[in-house]
Amino acid sequence: MLGYIVHRILIMIPTLIAISLVIFTIINLPPGDYFSTYIAELQSSGEAADLAKIHFLQTQYGFDRPLWEQYLFWVGGLLRGDMGYSFAYNLPVNQVVGDRLLMTFIVSFTTILFTYIVAFPIGVYSATHQYSWTDHVLTLLGFLGLATPSFLLALVLLYLANVYFGISIGGLMDPRYVNQPWSLPKALSLAAHLWIPVVVIGTAGTASMIRRLRANLLDELQKQYVVTARAKGLHPFKLLFKYPLRMALNPFISDIGSLLPHVISGAAIVSVVMSLPTTGPMLLDALRSQDMYLAGSFLVFMAFLTVIGVFVSDLALAVLDPRIRLQAGRRQ
Amino acid sequence: MGLALVVALTLSGVSRAELQETPVFEEDVARGKLPKVDERLPKEPAIAELETIGTPGGELRMLMGGPKDTRMMVVYGYARLVGYTPSLTLMPDILKSIDVEDGRIFTLHLRNGHKWSDGHPFTSEDFRYWFEDVAQNTQLSPSGLPISMLPQGEGPRFEVLDQTTVRYSWTRPNPLFLPDLAAASPLYIYRPSHYLKQFHQKYVEKPKLDTLVKQTNQRNWAALHNRMDTMYRDDNPDLPSLEPWILRTKPPADRFVFERNPYYYRIDKAEHQLPYIDRVIFSIADGKIIPAKTGAGESDLQARYLRFDNYTFLKASEQRNGFKVKLWRTGPGSQLALYPNLNVGDEIWHGLVRDLRFRHALSLAIDRHEINQAIYFGLAVEGQNTVLPQSPLYNPEYRSAWAKFDVSEANRLLDLVGLAKRDGDGVRLLPDGRPMEIIVENSGESSEQSDVLELIRDSWRRIGIRLFAKPSQLTLFRRRVFSGETLMSIDKGIENGLATAAMSPAEFAPTSQQQLEWPKWGQYYETKGMAGEPPNLPSAIRLKELYGEWLAAVSEKEHARIWDDILRIWADEVFSIGTVAGVLQPIVVNAKLHNVPEQGNYNWDPGAYFGIYKPDGFWFDHSEMPAKSASLDASPATPQ
Repeated sequence: MLGYIVHRILIMIPTLIAISLVIFTIINLPPGDYFSTYIAELQSSGEAADLAKIHFLQTQYGFDRPLWEQYLFWVGGLLRGDMGYSFAYNLPVNQVVGDRLLMTFIVSFTTILFTYIVAFPIGVYSATHQYSWTDHVLTLLGFLGLATPSFLLALVLLYLANVYFGISIGGLMDPRYVNQPWSLPKALSLAAHLWIPVVVIGTAGTASMIRRLRANLLDELQKQYVVTARAKGLHPFKLLFKYPLRMALNPFISDIGSLLPHVISGAAIVSVVMSLPTTGPMLLDALRSQDMYLAGSFLVFMAFLTVIGVFVSDLALAVLDPRIRLQAGRRQ
Repeated sequence: MGLALVVALTLSGVSRAELQETPVFEEDVARGKLPKVDERLPKEPAIAELETIGTPGGELRMLMGGPKDTRMMVVYGYARLVGYTPSLTLMPDILKSIDVEDGRIFTLHLRNGHKWSDGHPFTSEDFRYWFEDVAQNTQLSPSGLPISMLPQGEGPRFEVLDQTTVRYSWTRPNPLFLPDLAAASPLYIYRPSHYLKQFHQKYVEKPKLDTLVKQTNQRNWAALHNRMDTMYRDDNPDLPSLEPWILRTKPPADRFVFERNPYYYRIDKAEHQLPYIDRVIFSIADGKIIPAKTGAGESDLQARYLRFDNYTFLKASEQRNGFKVKLWRTGPGSQLALYPNLNVGDEIWHGLVRDLRFRHALSLAIDRHEINQAIYFGLAVEGQNTVLPQSPLYNPEYRSAWAKFDVSEANRLLDLVGLAKRDGDGVRLLPDGRPMEIIVENSGESSEQSDVLELIRDSWRRIGIRLFAKPSQLTLFRRRVFSGETLMSIDKGIENGLATAAMSPAEFAPTSQQQLEWPKWGQYYETKGMAGEPPNLPSAIRLKELYGEWLAAVSEKEHARIWDDILRIWADEVFSIGTVAGVLQPIVVNAKLHNVPEQGNYNWDPGAYFGIYKPDGFWFDHSEMPAKSASLDASPATPQ
C-alpha cells in the first residue's frame, strides 16, 4: 500500500509538467499577446492606448523573449509560489484570485449540499418504487432539470426574483454590502441572493445524480444477497441502507476527484450570466484577453487540485471497498 | 447674450457671499482634521455656469463592466488643464488662463493656491517633475515624449517662470497640443510630484527604494513608479488627484467608491464648493447584464453598456423604478461603414478597389433608408461617413455625395469599369473569370453588423455582386486587414463626427495603421517609412499633404479651409462607404438627479461622454429622500 501511494505521488510530477506545458501552449496559440489584444480592444472603442506605457510593460515582462524562456520564467515562479502578474488588474495574481475564492467556495459548497439533499432521497425512492407513478413524475422532473439550459433558467429566476422579491439582479449580495465587513444583514443578503445560483447550478447536477443513483441501486436490488436477506426477514430499511445502498455509493466517491476543482472553479457560464463574483467569469475573461499569467496559473492550480482529488478518491475507495483493496494487493 | 453674462458676472462679484462649508466636511473641519473651505479652494476658484443651483449631498450609483473601468471616473470627472465646453470650444479649466503666441508658444497660468486632493499645493514643480524626471527619463518613458509634443519630431523648450506659470515653446506651430490636453484620455503634462518622488531613483536612496520594490512585488523602480503613476487608469487610491471624485477603494474589488475631493477647484454661484454629489459608486457587473440591472433601477446615471435596442425595455420600467430615459446622439461619422481595403493583396481586386467608379457603384447600391427604417426605427441620419450636422465643418453635400440609392446608375458604372460579363445567376465576373464575391469581414462583436450586412447583401445582389459576411475575432480581424488578406471590412465610421477646425483631421488622411481603408499607407506614415508602403493614389497623397498643411497652419481660418478641402476629397473619393450615423444612445437618469441635459452628444472625444457636461454640477433633489442620505441604509431606489 505504501509503495502504491509513493508511486502515485511521484507520477503526479510529470503529469503536472505536461499539463503546464499544454496550458502554456494553448494560451499562446492565438495570435498576439495580452497587450495587442488590449490595444485592439481600446482602439475599437475609439480610445487611444497609452502606447508608451504598453511598450514599457511589454519589455518589462519579457514579451519580446522567446516562448521557452517565458515558459521557464513562469514555471519557475510557480515553484516558488509566485503565480505571476495579472496585466488586466495590474496586480499579482495571488491578490486577484484571493478575494474570489471564498465566494466561489460558498456557492459551490452550498450547491453540492443542495444536490445531495435533493438527489439522495429521490434517487433511493424512485429505485425502490420503480415504475410507480411517483417514480415517473420524479423522473420527468429530473429530465426537465437536465434538459433546461441553465443560463435560461438563471435569467428567468433573476427576473422573477427582482420583480416579486425585489432582489437586486446578479451578484451575490445587495450592492451596498459589497466590500463591507461581514455582518448579519450582509449574511442575510447573501442568503437571499444565494438560492438562485444554487438552484440553477444544482438542477442539472441533481438530475444526473438521481438517474445514476437509481440505476446503481436497481442493479444491486436484483442481486441474490438482497433476495436472501429479504427472505430471512431483515427489516426493509435496514436491508436497504446496510447493503445495496453502500454498494451503489462507489461512483460518488470516485466523483470526489472532479468535485475538488469544481468547488474552486464554479460554474463559469451561469456565473457570467448572473454576474457572480466567483472565479469562473474571471478565468473566462483572462482567457479571452490573454492575460496569460492569471489564466495559466489558475488553470495549473485547478489541474493540481484535480490530480490531488483523484488521488484522494482512489485512496478513499480502497479504504471503503475491500474488493478494490484486495485486488490491488494481489496485483502487486 | 454676451452683455447678460457680463452683468451676471459683476453681480456675483458684488454680492459674493461667504463660501459655504459642505455638510459632509463640517465635522472634520470642526475637529480640525480638515482646513476650512476658503483655505481649501484656490484664491480664484473656477465658477461653474449651471442650469440650476443644487444642494450638496447624496451618492451616485453607476454600473461598470470590469475593474479596468475605474478610468471612467477620470473621463466623466473631466478636470483638464483646458477642456471643451458643450459647444466644443476650448476653455481653460484647471488653468486660470493660457496665452498662445503664433500657435507655438504656450504659457500656462495656474490658479494661485490650487491644491491636490491631499492638500499639497499644485505648482509648476509638478510640471517640471513630469517633463524632466518622467518624460525624459529613458527608464520610465523608453519612447520619450508623446507624439503630440513632437511636431516634426522636435521637442519643446520648457521653462518654469514662477510658482504658478510654466511655458512650452516650439519652433513650429503645434496644433495638436491643446486638443490633446483636453482629450477624454488626456495628455497629462503634470504629476503629483510630492507623492511620486518617493518612488523615483533620483530622489530616494537606492537601498530604501530596493526594499520598496521588493515589498510591492515589482521588477524594478521604474515598474514601481509606473504602477503608482496611474492618473488616467485611476486604480491607485493613494495617488493625489485634481478630479472631482477620488478613488477610495483599493483594487481588486467589485464595488468602487469615489469620494468628493475636498480641495476641488470649482464652485457654483451660490458659493457651494463642487461637486454636489458626495460619493460616486461603481458596481462591477458583466456588461451583458447591465441593461437588465439598469432597468431594475440599480443605476442613477447610466449610458455605458446600454444600446439603442435596450430602449423599449428601459422605457417600460421607467415608472416602476423612478428613472427617466433620455436619448442623446452618438458622435461617430457613421454607425457602421464599409472599408474597401486599398492595400488588398489580390491583384485583380486591388485594381478594382482603386477604381473610383467601382467604389461609387458600391456606395450607390446601398439602400440607406431601408437600413435606417429596419434597424434604427428611422431615427438615424442617413449618408456618407463624414462629419455630422452638429459640427461647424458640416456640409450637407458631403454627407449625401454618392449616397442616393440608385441601382441603375450603379450598374452603368460597373459596366463602364469593364465588368459587364455575368454568369448564369446574374453575378458579374471578374476579368479572370471568377464570380464577383466580396467577403466582408468584421470583428464579430455585435449582431448589428450582420443585420446591416444582410440588408446590403440584398441590394448588392441587384448590381450583380454577391456579399458574404465573415465574423472573426477582434485581434485576428485587424491582423488580416493590416496584411492585405481582407478585401473589405465593416466597422465603426470615423471616430470624431463632431470635429471643429481646431481638431486634428488625422482620421481622414493615411496616418495610422488602424485605418482599415489603407493600413499599409498608414503604417508607412506612423513608422516614418520603416514599414508599410507609401501611398500611390494621387487623392490619398493629397490628403496626406493637406494634413501636413493643417499641422503647420496657425489661424483658425486656415485650419477651416484645409478641413474643407479634406472633406471634399473624402466625399468625392468614398474611401469608406457610410451607412447611417447619429444613432441614439439611451441615457438612464434617476428622476431626482438634476442638471443632466435633455439633449446631448454622447461622444468619446471630444466629449468624454458625460465629461463636457461637467457631472460635478449634477445634484440630487433630497426633498423626498430620508435625511441621512450618506449612510448605508439610505442608498436610494433599491426596489423593495
